[in-house]
Order: sequence, then C-alpha cells, then structure tokens
Amino acid sequence: MSEITKLSYCIETQDLTKKYPVIKGYGGLFTHLFRKKEIAALQNVSIRIKRGELFGLLGSNGAGKTTLIKILCTLVLPTSGTAWMNGLDVTKDQKKIRKLIGYVVGDERSFYWRLTGRQNLTFFAKLNNVPRHDAQARIESLLSFMELQYDADRMFKDYSTGMKQKLAIARGLLTEPEIIFMDEPTNGMDPVSAQKFRKLIKEKLVKTEKKTVIFATHNLHEAEELCDRIAIIHKGEVKTAGLIGEIKREFHSGKGYVIELKGPVTGFLEKIPYITSARKVTIIPDNSFSDTTQIEVEIKDGDNDIFPIVKEIADLGGKICSFYEKEISLGELFSMVIGRK
Amino acid sequence: MALFIEKPLAFVWKDLINEVSYKFAFFMQVCGILVTTVTFFYLSKLLGEVGTSYLKPYGGDYFSFVLIGVAFFNYLKVSMDSLSASIREGQMVGTLEALLVTQTEIPTIILSSSLYSFIFASFKVAVYLILGAFFFGVDMGNANIMGAFLILLLTIVSFSSIGIISASFVMVLKKGNPVNWLFTNVSGILGGLYYPVSVLPKWLQKLSAMLPVTYSLEGMRLALLKGSSLNALLPNIAALTAFSAVMLPLSVLIFGYAVRRAKIDGTLTQY
Repeated sequence: MSEITKLSYCIETQDLTKKYPVIKGYGGLFTHLFRKKEIAALQNVSIRIKRGELFGLLGSNGAGKTTLIKILCTLVLPTSGTAWMNGLDVTKDQKKIRKLIGYVVGDERSFYWRLTGRQNLTFFAKLNNVPRHDAQARIESLLSFMELQYDADRMFKDYSTGMKQKLAIARGLLTEPEIIFMDEPTNGMDPVSAQKFRKLIKEKLVKTEKKTVIFATHNLHEAEELCDRIAIIHKGEVKTAGLIGEIKREFHSGKGYVIELKGPVTGFLEKIPYITSARKVTIIPDNSFSDTTQIEVEIKDGDNDIFPIVKEIADLGGKICSFYEKEISLGELFSMVIGRK
Repeated sequence: MALFIEKPLAFVWKDLINEVSYKFAFFMQVCGILVTTVTFFYLSKLLGEVGTSYLKPYGGDYFSFVLIGVAFFNYLKVSMDSLSASIREGQMVGTLEALLVTQTEIPTIILSSSLYSFIFASFKVAVYLILGAFFFGVDMGNANIMGAFLILLLTIVSFSSIGIISASFVMVLKKGNPVNWLFTNVSGILGGLYYPVSVLPKWLQKLSAMLPVTYSLEGMRLALLKGSSLNALLPNIAALTAFSAVMLPLSVLIFGYAVRRAKIDGTLTQY
C-alpha cells in the first residue's frame, strides 16, 4: 500500500473475500478435505474509510456486514484479499490492530450479567491493559459520558436495553480507540432511546471526540440520519459506496417534483393526462383534511426545468400553492441498488 | 502489579463475584463434599479388612485411600472440564467475542478463565483433607508436604495439557468433545480412583501405566499417607514430568491450530 493511501485512509480493503466452509456432520469434516463446499459471505469487497468519518455499512440481514466487521476486528481471517487499518494488515498485525479499535456489539449477552456495570468495565479495562491508576478515572468519566453514573453499581441484568447499549459503547471507548466498530447497536432499543443513542454517536463520538465510526445497520432511516458516507452491501458484495447524495444522484437520474395545488381540484384531475411536458404525473393520496392536493411529477429525461410543467398546469386551471424537488428516500435507493444487476 | 498476574487475577475476581452472587450454590457444594466423605467413611467400615493386602502400600486403610483419590481426582476433572467449559460457556453466553477483541492473547484468556475452578478445586481438596484428618481419623501426621506439592504441581501441568487438547476440540467441534469423555472415564476406571491399580488384571494395569492420573494419585497417597521421601516418589515424579514435557508443547500446538481453524471457518464464537 502506498504511503499516500496509508495517510489518507483509516481503513482500506482490497478485494476482500470470505468464504465459509459448509460442513455437515462429522462425515463432512472428512469429506471436506477432498471436496470443499463453500458459501461466499464477502466477495471482492473494496472500500476506503477516512479518518474521523461516520461510515455506514448498510445491508439486509445476512448481507455480510458482520463478517466484514469481524475481519477488521481480527476475529475472522479473510479467504483472500487484504485489509489495512492505519496501514496495519489485519491478518498480520492483529495485536496492534486490537489496540486501535473499540468494538460495540449489539449483542447484550457480551457482558457478565451478575456483575455491575462498573465491575464489567473494570474487568474489561484490565484485559485492555488500561493502567490501574488511569482505569478508575476513565471508567467514571465514561459512565458519566454515557449518563450511567447513577446506575453503575446495579447488576447488568437489571439494566434496560438502552442502558446495556450505552455500557457497550462505554466498553468500546475504554482504550480511547481511534476506530470504533458498531454492529447493529440499536437492535432491540425503543425508538426514543435509539434516537438519543444516534445523537450521542454523532454529537459526542464523531463531532466532539473525532473518532472514526463504522456503523453497520439494516435500518435505512438510521443510516440516513447518521452517516456521511455509506456502502450498501448485498449478498456479500458492495453494490455501491459513497456520499448518500451522490449515490442518490447516481441511481435516480430522473428528477421528481411535488406540486401543491389549492382547493378542490375535481375538474382539474381529468386534465392531468393532457400535461404533455411531464414524463409522469401521480396524485399523492392524502388522508388529511387540508384543502390542498399534492401531485408528483417526473420531468422528462434531458429536461432540467420544472417551469414548463408549472406553466402547463396553470394553463389547465390548476392553482399552484408551492412546489419542491422530491428527494428519493434511502429505502427507495436501497431497493434500486440491490435490484440492479 | 505485573500485568501477567493482573489479568488472571481479574478473571478470578470476576468469577468470584459471579459465584458469590449464587449464594446457595456454594453451600450445596460444601454439603456435597460432606455427603461424599460420610458415604465413603461408612463404605470403608463395611469393607473392614477386605482388600488390606492391596491397600498395604498406602497404609492399609480404605477410607484414607479413597478420600485422597476422590479429593485429588477433582484436579483431573477441573483440568479436563474447565478449559473447554470456559470456551463453551463464552460461546454460549456470548462473552467470548468481547474477550477476543481485547488486548489479551487467547491462551491467557482461556487459562485465566479456568483459574477460579482450580482455586475452588484446591478449596474442595482442603475441605476433604481437613474433614478426613480432624473428623474421620485419617492419619497424615507423617505427610511429605514438599513431595505432595511437587506431585500436585506436575499433576496440574500434565492434566492441563490434556485439558488444552480438549479445549481445542471444543473450539472447532463445539460439542461432542471425545478427549474429555475418554480421558475422564478411562482415568476413573483405570487410574486408581476408588481401588488400587493392583486389583486390575495385568493387561489393564499396562493401560493404567499410560495414564498420568495413575502416577498422580499414587504419588499423592504415598506422600500424604506414608510420608514417602522424594526419592521414593521419583518414579511418579519422573512419569508426570515426562508426560508434561511431551503433552504440554503438543497441546499448545494443537490449540494454536484450532484457533486458526476456527478463525478461518469463522466459528470462533459460534456454538
């Protein structure tokens, strides 16, 4: 890897592939020696993540997000390809890499349930070589950072899901790591706690602490709210990666607008098929009691201007209150990306 | 405190808090020791003078013989079970993954995870010996403490090497660990736990001579009940040393291979 790449990117993978052996029963252990049956969990994954970035790994369950994170966290060895973190090879520099990372896993079973939150953190601090004189102060500061200071001496088993996830983040930050991996950390959290949790990641970890966060999720809303850049993974392949806006533009070239029309438009609706300057016009169903009607128009390929359509609607008797460009949701984008061959 | 001892102690501290939180379990374990001791005490009364010739090398008393056997067989069970059980429990409960991403090497994690079990086994052995000596008349007045300690040390090392191999199977196969089953059962039958090896037919005695538990229990009985000197214990010490010298490096190699295999298969934390 070049020095420039080493400096520019915090994480870089090149054609990373992971195939898991398919072994059934004890007989399979023997036959596998001669006839290997494998299933690909990751295929030629190449991504680059910058320092201080909040990067989303987006994919449905079983897409390969966890496998990618586990390779980067040195828990799984890749079948082929390479991955570097701060210029360190994940297959060769495992010890050094574990000093760089914090791993926040959504699985609440990764704690000792009959130990208190503070005792759990103390135990993991020791295993992470946090010096004894620093450990207590750091644990106190993390408990307070995660707003757990008043529950620190309760057994973990008595924590709510949100508190368990907060403790998982506190554990991930014990070593003050440069890079934090979060694998579906909001799983099982109620919407309010999840919202608070996301705010905490964005405001405190990324903006204040300048950490690099890799956030794996299948929740599109979450990815859209949190991440600067994303990679959409489907069946082990990175389908696309980049800024959310750029990906939207790449996959959704046709521009759409929402136009709001005033008052009862019964007479106008019959005239819609005669709007020739638009590629497609759709009435947006409205269950509210407002006195406006919304229609969605798609402009024709090559056109960039909404005004001919606006003029045509006005000429046909439509009273326009407002119009704005319709933005494609990440959910729609996700369907488009994974649907593209 | 040096880091190499701080981490194992952290595991002991964590396991102790966990165990103490189950208050009744500890009490039941001590009751279990008492029940076993009383059972064998009256069983030995029933046997009386039967088999004295076989027991003569160990002082002639069946209760003393079996008490040492049952007490120190705990170490074999802990060595065989605790290493693999700590991996299995971590896989099942879900803590193994969190441990493996820390800055602690896998061998330290596995060995430290079983340390509490060894300490508790030592506590159980102490309870057996105290009960035997103070309440059931087991005579250990001439015990060679130094010799017993040496035998104990070699016992733990040699048993642990089998435990590490057993843990390697769990790492890869998760369940159905053949090493554990085979060694614990064969050692129980042939190792001289409940009866002296000399009662077995010659061909079984030859098999028995291949097991470290045979030398461990015999050495321990000779040291504690007869007060045998280090010279007299030399055959047992030599056998256990040889076994450890071969099996310990081998077990470390096998364990290293198992970890790599599990990382390749992606099954390190699966169960």
